[in-house]
Amino acid sequence: MAGVEDEILVRRVAAGDGRALGGLYDRYAGLIYGAGTRYLGDRGQAEDLVQDVFLSVWRNAGRFDPSRASFSTWIYRITRNRATDLIRRRKARVRTVGTDLPPEPEDPDPSGSLSRGFDVAAALTRLSPTHREVLVLAYFEGLSQREISTRTDTPLGTVKSRTTAALRALREAMSPELDGW
Amino acid sequence: MGDLDPTEERAVEEHLEGCTSCREEAEALRLAHERLVEFAAASEAPPPHLKDRAVASLPRPAPRRTVPPWAAVAAAVFLVALGLAYGPSLLGSQEVVAATLEPTGRAPGAGGEVEIVRGAENAEVRLEAWGLPACEREDYYELWLVEGEERVSAGTFSVGRSGEVEVVLNAPRFADSYPQVGITSETDTDPRPGDAKMLGGELRGS
Repeated sequence: MAGVEDEILVRRVAAGDGRALGGLYDRYAGLIYGAGTRYLGDRGQAEDLVQDVFLSVWRNAGRFDPSRASFSTWIYRITRNRATDLIRRRKARVRTVGTDLPPEPEDPDPSGSLSRGFDVAAALTRLSPTHREVLVLAYFEGLSQREISTRTDTPLGTVKSRTTAALRALREAMSPELDGW
Repeated sequence: MGDLDPTEERAVEEHLEGCTSCREEAEALRLAHERLVEFAAASEAPPPHLKDRAVASLPRPAPRRTVPPWAAVAAAVFLVALGLAYGPSLLGSQEVVAATLEPTGRAPGAGGEVEIVRGAENAEVRLEAWGLPACEREDYYELWLVEGEERVSAGTFSVGRSGEVEVVLNAPRFADSYPQVGITSETDTDPRPGDAKMLGGELRGS
């Protein structure tokens, strides 16, 4: 499912395809979970956030309109709204028990890094399998160019030129200007 | 990415100072690199059990009912009456996609037609093919819905000495969203598609 566009997967989700939802989960859950642990400060709440987001995608996929926003923008908005809800709920609980804690930020993405992350996640899905592979090995598995050469049984020079081409393709697939909020 | 030695790095920097197009290219690559670093740092692998909780255990969406039951019954009676009066052309307006199957080198004389009709729960895949080699004892054919590297089986069938087959298979309701179909010859119980591609075609709306 790696090469299938988000917009096609979400159409299948709208038709009741759980596998397509699993494909979207594989692409975005790490980013949502990472945001949850960072901004909610609690792994249990981060899990709740991931679950809430995908439940919302499942329920509302039929309303997703690709002419209005990309899927990555849509799921980013859902994530941001759910995270804000969870932060507010936690604050309400804290007030109820009267604990005196320093104020927490209400914006779950103050630096915009989460928004940029969703954009990169979507751009990665639009790359060719060889370009995606070389970037995943370099940035997510932390391999050097030489290690990628050994792992993929590809000449070092090819790995270097492929990495450059993959970065260029990724830049072209990324949004020219990220959505502001 | 830190893979240049100091001499190479200095040579690159000197070149960039005097070359606008390379500088712009380097800037684009740098931005992509920084975004990837940021993305990798922002992501964290969720615990393995979470996927089951977040995806596999979701309730199936309830079928949408936009009219009260009595109105649905009345509408059904009306449609049946219309169908009786005007024939099947009125009632046969289901969503249909179709493909003409072209042969590969393995079966140059073969051909076929596939029609996918979306139903309420599943899609009906109607296949008519000809010129296919007859199946031996353990052989069978498999029809695949294809998109990029993804293959979803729409079912299996056998072909006798005539080389012809006309069969109706059931596939998931979203089968009509795939852009291509293909038929492979299979000889084992491996659920993945085999290498022996026999026929393939592009699905189009009709």
